[in-house]
Amino acid sequence: QEKRLIPTDGLETPRPNLYHDHKRVNCNPDVFRCTLNAIPQTSALLNKARLPLGILIHPFKDLSQLPVIQSSVIVRCRSCRTYINPFVTFVDQRRWKCNLCFRINELPDEFSFDPVTKTYGDPQRRPEIRSATIEFIAPSEYMLRPPQPAVYLFLLDVSFNAVETGYLRLFTQILVEELERLPGDARTQIGFLCYDRSLYFFNLAEGLSQPQMLVCPDLEDVFLPCPDDLLVNLHESKDMVTELLTQLPGLFEDNKETGSALGTALQAAFKLMTSTGGRITVMQTTLPTVGQGSLECREAGSQAASLNTSNMGPATDFYKKLALDCSAQQIAVDLFLLNGQYADIASVSCISKYSAGCVQYYPSFHTAKNPGMSDKFETDLRRYLTRKIGFESVMRIRLSIHTFHGNFFVRSTDLLSLPNVNPDAGFGMQMSIEDNLTESSNVCFQAALLYTSSKGERRIRVHTLCVPITNQLSDVTAGADQQAIAALLAKMAVDRTISSSLEDARDAMMNACLDMMSAYATQIPASQRVGALMAPSSLRLVPLFTLAMLKSDAFRLSASVRLDDRVYAHQQAKTMPTSYLLQSYYPHLYPVHSLSDENVIQVGKETIPKAPLLQLSSANVDRHGVYLMDQGEHMYMMVGGAVSDAFCRDVFDVPNFMSIPEGMTDLPELENPVSERVRSFVNHLMDARPCGVTFIVLREDSKMRHQFFRYMVEDRTESSMSYYEFLQFLQQKVKG
Amino acid sequence: MATYQEFIQQNEDRDGVRFSWNVWPSSRLEATRMVVPLGCLFTPLKERPDLPPIQYDPVLCTRPTCRAILNPFCQIDYRAKMWACNFCYQRNPFPPQYAAISEQHQPAEIIPQFSTLEYTITRATCHPPIYLIVLDTCMEDDDLQAVKESLQMSLSLLPANALIGLITFGKMVQVHELGSEGVSKSYVFRGTKDLTAKQIQEMLGIGRGPTPQAQQRGPQAPQQQFQLPANRFLQPVHKCDMSLTDLLGELQRDPWPVAQGKRPLRSAGVALSIAVGLLECTFPNTGARIMMFLGGPCTQGPGMVVGDELKHPIRSHHDIEKDNCKYMKKAMKHYEGLGNRAAGNGHVIDIYSCALDQTGLHEMKFCPTYTGGHMVMGDSFNTSLFKQTFQRVFSKDQKGEFKMAFGATLEVKTSRELKVSGAIGPCVSLGVKGQAVSDTEIGLGGTCQWKMCGLYPNTSLAVFFEVVNQHNAPIPQGGRGYLQFITQYQHSSGQRRVRVSTVARNWADASTNIQHIAAGFDQEAAAVLMARIAVYRAETDDGPDVLRWLDRMLIRLCQKFGEYHKDDPNSFRFSENFSLYPQFMFHLRRSQFLQVFNNSPDETSYYRHMLNVEDLTQSLIMIQPILYAYSFHGPPEPVLLDTNSLQPDRILLMDTFFHIVIYHGETIDQWKKQGYADLPEYENFKQLLQAPVDDAQEILQTRFPMPRYIVSEAGGSQARFLLSKVNPSQTHNNMYGFGQEGGAPVLTDDVSLQVFMEHLKKLAVSSSS
Ligand SMILES: [Zn+2]
Ligand SMILES: [Zn+2]
Repeated sequence: QEKRLIPTDGLETPRPNLYHDHKRVNCNPDVFRCTLNAIPQTSALLNKARLPLGILIHPFKDLSQLPVIQSSVIVRCRSCRTYINPFVTFVDQRRWKCNLCFRINELPDEFSFDPVTKTYGDPQRRPEIRSATIEFIAPSEYMLRPPQPAVYLFLLDVSFNAVETGYLRLFTQILVEELERLPGDARTQIGFLCYDRSLYFFNLAEGLSQPQMLVCPDLEDVFLPCPDDLLVNLHESKDMVTELLTQLPGLFEDNKETGSALGTALQAAFKLMTSTGGRITVMQTTLPTVGQGSLECREAGSQAASLNTSNMGPATDFYKKLALDCSAQQIAVDLFLLNGQYADIASVSCISKYSAGCVQYYPSFHTAKNPGMSDKFETDLRRYLTRKIGFESVMRIRLSIHTFHGNFFVRSTDLLSLPNVNPDAGFGMQMSIEDNLTESSNVCFQAALLYTSSKGERRIRVHTLCVPITNQLSDVTAGADQQAIAALLAKMAVDRTISSSLEDARDAMMNACLDMMSAYATQIPASQRVGALMAPSSLRLVPLFTLAMLKSDAFRLSASVRLDDRVYAHQQAKTMPTSYLLQSYYPHLYPVHSLSDENVIQVGKETIPKAPLLQLSSANVDRHGVYLMDQGEHMYMMVGGAVSDAFCRDVFDVPNFMSIPEGMTDLPELENPVSERVRSFVNHLMDARPCGVTFIVLREDSKMRHQFFRYMVEDRTESSMSYYEFLQFLQQKVKG
Repeated sequence: MATYQEFIQQNEDRDGVRFSWNVWPSSRLEATRMVVPLGCLFTPLKERPDLPPIQYDPVLCTRPTCRAILNPFCQIDYRAKMWACNFCYQRNPFPPQYAAISEQHQPAEIIPQFSTLEYTITRATCHPPIYLIVLDTCMEDDDLQAVKESLQMSLSLLPANALIGLITFGKMVQVHELGSEGVSKSYVFRGTKDLTAKQIQEMLGIGRGPTPQAQQRGPQAPQQQFQLPANRFLQPVHKCDMSLTDLLGELQRDPWPVAQGKRPLRSAGVALSIAVGLLECTFPNTGARIMMFLGGPCTQGPGMVVGDELKHPIRSHHDIEKDNCKYMKKAMKHYEGLGNRAAGNGHVIDIYSCALDQTGLHEMKFCPTYTGGHMVMGDSFNTSLFKQTFQRVFSKDQKGEFKMAFGATLEVKTSRELKVSGAIGPCVSLGVKGQAVSDTEIGLGGTCQWKMCGLYPNTSLAVFFEVVNQHNAPIPQGGRGYLQFITQYQHSSGQRRVRVSTVARNWADASTNIQHIAAGFDQEAAAVLMARIAVYRAETDDGPDVLRWLDRMLIRLCQKFGEYHKDDPNSFRFSENFSLYPQFMFHLRRSQFLQVFNNSPDETSYYRHMLNVEDLTQSLIMIQPILYAYSFHGPPEPVLLDTNSLQPDRILLMDTFFHIVIYHGETIDQWKKQGYADLPEYENFKQLLQAPVDDAQEILQTRFPMPRYIVSEAGGSQARFLLSKVNPSQTHNNMYGFGQEGGAPVLTDDVSLQVFMEHLKKLAVSSSS
């Protein structure tokens, strides 16, 4: 029984158990989900269940179907400003009852008017009532100022180290290729600011014969070298922009300057963007060592340095303060960290954290020495440049929240400031139950994201989630969403790590796990208790996920985790959408040596073979087999030592196991069914995610095999428990 | 013997030197009683196309404290191959290469006609000059276009291997990288923050250029063109002229918006500082010139001379007098500091200031003055005054060489009876004390060496001497005193050269032979030397005191050298070689050099700068303008600078050095207006009109800076340029009393020359004074 905790075709996402109509229209759990699909009626009941209550939201997720309406009236509750949604009740044809505050509101005539038939009809036909996720094109009262154009500023590290990694050439090449596809309209603006020890601005005014580089070597107090033309209209100055991008790598080819004035560059960027807001994209390859916000290496010295919690928080409030300034001016800063050495992500990432930016990390990036990482960067960058983007955004969540997780600034109790919003950002919120929920059988959560589209339209995307209320502890337990709970626990553990210590955070995770199990145990009559740890099926994976998290880079109690890697893992825990986050802790493992034509799925014209999910135990890995581990950002193909020569020939184009070269990052395109099946399986997985992924083939005897086996979280290691041991440990604690 | 006038002319032609006294009083006491100090106006690089090319080093006196250079006044012992120094009497052996000398076979340096000789130092490295353009971009488009075109034109005039650089400024200061392909690069600095040379060096990421010493070759290596190690900001003209032409072409007006009622933010002070710093950290002690083009006053940062509010005008002489200038002293300190630094590094600073209002030349004057730079003042860059003047900077002599030299030092050696009191001119003191340095200072004293970073064929220094011989000591052996002027400089070809002028004058005992001394008085030289002292004092002391001092000196001179009976003014007589001196002083007193209130402080600084630089002939024109009359009564003739010269049927041409004024008398003007010149039968009138124009053109085309050209007529507003200069023999105060025919009254309360002379005579002969 315990061998098959996870079904071979993956975990199902539980949904709130509502009556049919509501269940059908309820919000997609990938967008909006609650840790409890049955909400306790009272806080006392919640306490009894000892389950964390929170919601996880992925508000700007790319959606294949999104009803968009342009209406002269946007119907909202006059009292609590909730948008009309599928879960309201119509008192009669002209009135509706708010499902959050229960006020009775008048329904405007237009709402029932069908412009096609020119008749007044049933308000239930309205898309607002038929979909829990909807987008409005907002009228002018939703604007504080005219919608600003899409403004993109790129901050490029051009120090010696940066040039050496080769990123600049790759970056400029990709940007030139994607320039046409940057989201925007005729007003889109673009600009570039390079930096090492100096700042390099570029005047790209149309009509110049060449771009002009303006170097500001004085870092003492930052200023803009000219009043205009540092940000230019992308379409009017397209030739100039292309010319610059073509020349840029050459301009810094021989740069010997090692200093990096990231902080000063950010200050300059802030000045440049103040009037419009927009997006600042930073490519940073090294620790910022000069100018404002310069940092020192905190990793050097004792082993304990990387376990010291104070090193996991920022060393300076410079980046946070600047981020808040940016946020106030509708500027978000995204970081691409391409550093081989320590770059103090803990400090630097604050610029993104509080400005609603995103952080991407490519450790040991090098176009020549680390092609896998380079490929991932390329995929990510292309996606990043062309993905949907919202500007000047705020998100309001109508519910009782006490803690937020993600990258943003909390402007008021329920309002998040998001200068930019992107389709890959997730958020979490912890909740409490303040008043007893007796007025209704359901509780609704509504998230409204107001933003300016890249085409200069003001839009509101509204998600409404409806969850039933219960006064039964068993319902609460049965309705628990263990994936959401694990994801929320991870976010809480990050906060605990920074505020207290790694040890405390680990204890808290284990205690949370224990509490859940203990609370369940109390629900079972003593007579029915057996020796083993008791867990309801809704929570049976919590110990496994907890163990996986304890073994992850984020929470592992090991000095061998590099500080930046750990801090980045913390950042990911806070912002990754749930399913990707769980996959990063507990990757997907598939046997790929026995893919067949029989068990397939059809995607468009392509036939994709299926492989069963395996649990992460070495016992599932056979020497004769070949396994693909998909961690989300990284894929490892582990080849067993006793793999057949035929498979080696068919898939790797080598005669036998011993001939498989170290560090293959690509599968050769061979025309045989085995190769084709393996490649289509891998490619399908890769294509199904928004981010890039590194791919590497590891031989069982490779010295890099630990990259694969470290994720075998059910195994015992010298310093960590096996899953079985962990269960025993929990059981003893539950008893005690 | 030739007349003194001929003697003076000969000496000036040969040695470029004009002394106030050509016979020297043999004792200290007598010398102080001469009133006009013993001094000379020395033109180190006076054009001498006839000098023989000397391709070896000069021979020096071996006495370490002397080191005078072998010259025609030395006694030669041909048999022993020895020479005796005429300054210290040291006997020196000739170097081996002189073994073949004899009375029939003399080296040039001991031939009497070569008292001035120029040596080319063959072992020194040759540097092409460096030009750093510092260009204001806060200008009207027409002006900016004009200055850009002038600069583009100048590129073709520069030697191909010269290094050139470009700094532009407005609200920011931009140092442009030159010669790179593709994206144009410039380094941008805030105009409000001064930077040290070291900071500039670090920020621009440039290495220190090797010092000239480090590059010196072995003694036998021939002097050759040596390419300086260029950096990204200073590139050889041949490598970057195309890209620089494009860069200048693309240059726009300063893009920062200027609000209503404001002046543009103009960072001239920091721009100049960065230029000085850039050269200081890359090419110290190498000939270089910073050419600054300024279209308005500095309004921010160090060196600002006025705020950016238009409602607050720039300071006037009245403000200065009332000590009501918020920025002046601080700005002067800034620019004086820059002038000193540039001079210390051997770099020249030129300022081309073209604007209708003042730009701050008053505060910035130290830069050109200390470094021997040009100061040019005009209304607009889009004028021929600027364009032609700038073109003339790059004019060449008969040998096709630029008329500019760099990094000069002038050393003065004196025979034992003399000491050096100081110098006044476009130079700084090198602070070299020695036996020949007097304790009494006139001008820049306390040294026997001065540095002139930029000099030209006209550049002249006033050098003053003190006779130290005691009254009871005998007149020295040979009866002559000696001076040696040694000018080491970087020729425009890059060669290191040494020009040596050795001069001798007779001693006379003033107590017994005062007439000899008086006969050797050069009133022109004396007037110019006194003018230099007066301006030097005016710059440091108060104006009115200077006038009183000048008057006192003039009276004392009259008392000493005039012939008169006590208390009988009518008996006063001056000999011919003194007779014009009072007139020079009269005009000097009234000139813009000492009367400042009709001019702006910038104009005063500009006028004084020119007087401080030019040679004797030009200086005299500045002190007492020249007036020519054209009429049907005969050929053009020089006439008195007097209201009486203004006649209805005359055309006048006045040359004040700064202005060329053509003035049509009333009748002439009427004829002209009636169009007689266009009628074939009045061809001679047309010619009469044309003659002064042609003569004016001749001056306009040769003088540097190009003068302002004014055509005026009787009663016209432009006539004021003439009327302010002529002696007011008729004014509204006296015209009715005199009731003379002709002439035009001058509206002035100034005394006329006649009144001035009468007063002077009275005071000179008075027994009480
Ligand atoms: Zn409501
Ligand atoms: Zn001697």
